[in-house]
Amino acid sequence: MFEPVEIQNILVATMAGALVVMFGALYALGFAMGKLNKQPGMLRAAYGAYAALSVSVFVLAYTLNLNGIWWGVTLTMLIGYLLAPQAIWKLSVKTHEFSD
Amino acid sequence: MITTAWWASEDFWRKATIWITAFMVVVLIVLTYDSLSQISAGTERVPAYSAINNRIYYRQDKSRNMPVPVIGDPAPLFGKILSETEAEALVEKGKITTQAKNCMGCHTILGNGAYFAPDLTKAWLDPAWGSEGTREQLMMRFLLDPPANSRGYGSKRRMPNLGITEEEARGIIAFLKWMSTIDTNGFPRNFTPIAQEGDR
Amino acid sequence: MKLGVLDSSNLTGGQQLAVKYYTVAVVLFGAQILFGLFAGLQFLAPEFGYNVLDFSVNRMVHVNAMIVWMLYGFIGAIYWLVEEEAGTELVGLKLGNLAFWVLTAAVTVVVLVYLFVQTGPGEIESIWFINEGREYIEAPRWADIGIVVCLLVFFYNVAATFMKGKWSGISGVLVFDLVAVAGLYLAGMFYTTNVSVEQYWWWWVIHLWVEATWEVLIGCIMAWGLIKTLGASRKIVTTWLYIEVALMLGAGILGLGHHYFWIGTPEYWFTVGGFFSALEPVPLVAMVVHAVYDSGVHRFKNTNHPALAWLIAHAFGNFFGAGVFGFMHTLPQVNLYTHGTQWSSSHGHFAFFGAYATINIAMFYIALQKWRGNVYMSAGLADNGWKWKWALGLLNMGVVGMTMALLVSGYEQAFVERALGGSTWAAYFAAQNSVWFIQGMLWREIFGLMTAAGFGLLVWDLVTIGRTETRSMLIPAEAAKAAA
Repeated sequence: MFEPVEIQNILVATMAGALVVMFGALYALGFAMGKLNKQPGMLRAAYGAYAALSVSVFVLAYTLNLNGIWWGVTLTMLIGYLLAPQAIWKLSVKTHEFSD
Repeated sequence: MITTAWWASEDFWRKATIWITAFMVVVLIVLTYDSLSQISAGTERVPAYSAINNRIYYRQDKSRNMPVPVIGDPAPLFGKILSETEAEALVEKGKITTQAKNCMGCHTILGNGAYFAPDLTKAWLDPAWGSEGTREQLMMRFLLDPPANSRGYGSKRRMPNLGITEEEARGIIAFLKWMSTIDTNGFPRNFTPIAQEGDR
Repeated sequence: MKLGVLDSSNLTGGQQLAVKYYTVAVVLFGAQILFGLFAGLQFLAPEFGYNVLDFSVNRMVHVNAMIVWMLYGFIGAIYWLVEEEAGTELVGLKLGNLAFWVLTAAVTVVVLVYLFVQTGPGEIESIWFINEGREYIEAPRWADIGIVVCLLVFFYNVAATFMKGKWSGISGVLVFDLVAVAGLYLAGMFYTTNVSVEQYWWWWVIHLWVEATWEVLIGCIMAWGLIKTLGASRKIVTTWLYIEVALMLGAGILGLGHHYFWIGTPEYWFTVGGFFSALEPVPLVAMVVHAVYDSGVHRFKNTNHPALAWLIAHAFGNFFGAGVFGFMHTLPQVNLYTHGTQWSSSHGHFAFFGAYATINIAMFYIALQKWRGNVYMSAGLADNGWKWKWALGLLNMGVVGMTMALLVSGYEQAFVERALGGSTWAAYFAAQNSVWFIQGMLWREIFGLMTAAGFGLLVWDLVTIGRTETRSMLIPAEAAKAAA
């Protein structure tokens, strides 16, 4: 069931939406840099950004009244943003292995 | 030569790209067939052009949790009941005119266009026209000479004179009335329609 | 050849054709900004240009000039690279030149008709000869047909050149994508009275261009650039082009659904559009990881700082403009308030500039470098390169400033007009007259002027950069090879 955002939540919802993408990029950035330079501190910071992302996703889901089938979108964001950078990292390492 | 993992090979990703793209295109085509069948004129979501012969209400649908247009009792446009063919010809005249005059250069239609002037999606149902009885006349007068009949609501913006003829204006009004019958999933938000006979 | 002199003999035939396209692109970029300033001013002073250059006219020229200069930039970029990529000369240079002049003449006539005829009577002939009245693709039908013919000539030139020379992964993707770009335009070339059906197909053109096929085009140009300028491995770059295309089209094609919430189309588009819009930022995040990896593994040297700076501006602009500003208002629960307000134009300004204007400007600098005989364009430019740096700063700050100003106005509109006001005409004007809205419009115009200043500086820089330079970008051995 589709339920529009409450008036008082418009600002919070849109900001949460923006933060999802920004923390997603921060997590990706920290993850890649931590892996590249072998800095565990950077990796921890990256997972911190992911935690902030999760909070943003939940704020977004709550203010947008996401329920029923919309939980699929919420879960996609949570899992997708967690795994995509890791998968891309693995791909980066593997694809750069071949010599031409 | 190092052989790389299959999932990181050029060959795999070329095939994956082709398959993913093709799959998405096929899904889009299937959805397009279905959507077009649901939005052709004369369906529940996009009523027949002859809907302009009737009163159009805008009422809350509890099960869908959004307001939807409801076609009511006869209330012919300009006092004349039209056949489906006549209604379509009139709406077509209006639709072509809205394109030829580039209405979308200032207004939005179904929310798309420019943002210099109000949305036209539910223009027929807007309280701006005062009452049902005066609506057609006011719309006609406005379209024939927009600068003189402009309201502006405290803004200095006025619609320019676009040389709309009476025939074109009739078409535009018919097009706007017909467009107000389209089920737009509750867009624009919280719309408050004009008071009409038979309102509950 | 004397270093630093604009000399066509420095360029291949296709590249000479490319700089013609670039020249017109810059002129149209200027027209976009000029008419944008006019239209923006009309929000503050509605009497400006009333009945002479009405808002609808200025706005139409503003958005059309944008679409067309970007297309000119892309066509130019592809003519620039096609011969090197195919390893042979352009098949139909004369035909390509002819198509350029025909297309440019057609664009000129269309703009003159927009400015001096403006609108027509409510007859189908108006749509054929004056304007189609459909945002972004207002060009009258005769011009549509002309555009398709010129695009087919372009397509023939590209495909036939690859066929004569050699194919590569990049050229394969490119040629497939060009078929889609031209084919999709056909979806916007018919009249129908049913406005829901019309907008359904209209979005095929707009969305599947800017959120799918144009992105792939940019991907191909970037891939070629990475191999060419940074000496990246072709196999790796090609693999990553495939990965990017798979991600972009995997999310972007059905992301089309976020335009089908309110035009009469069924409710399932809420779910389809919402789901795939949530996926659309994923390719952007992927690029972050891969860019970090690449920059860490390779130590690249660069001989064209302005181009590199604009490519970095592209990465940021694409991420914030398309990713952040797109996703923040895309889900239907909030889009119901923001659709059709200045919020959309806030996103539009940032995304088009960030994703496409930046990359075209980078290509202009790459072209100029070679045009002046492979002049060195990195550190220690004449006058410390202040012109390109200020142009970069002013253009980017100007567009970001406009974006923020429009966001304030858009928020006010979503709140006052939609949430509180009941979306009536009275509510619309209540929002337009509110202090915050007007403030936003004022700051938009100020930042618009900043953008215009940046554009002026950019043109000045493009005309002068490298003119007094005495260093070559080529190392002596390469220079000897090039001279031979």
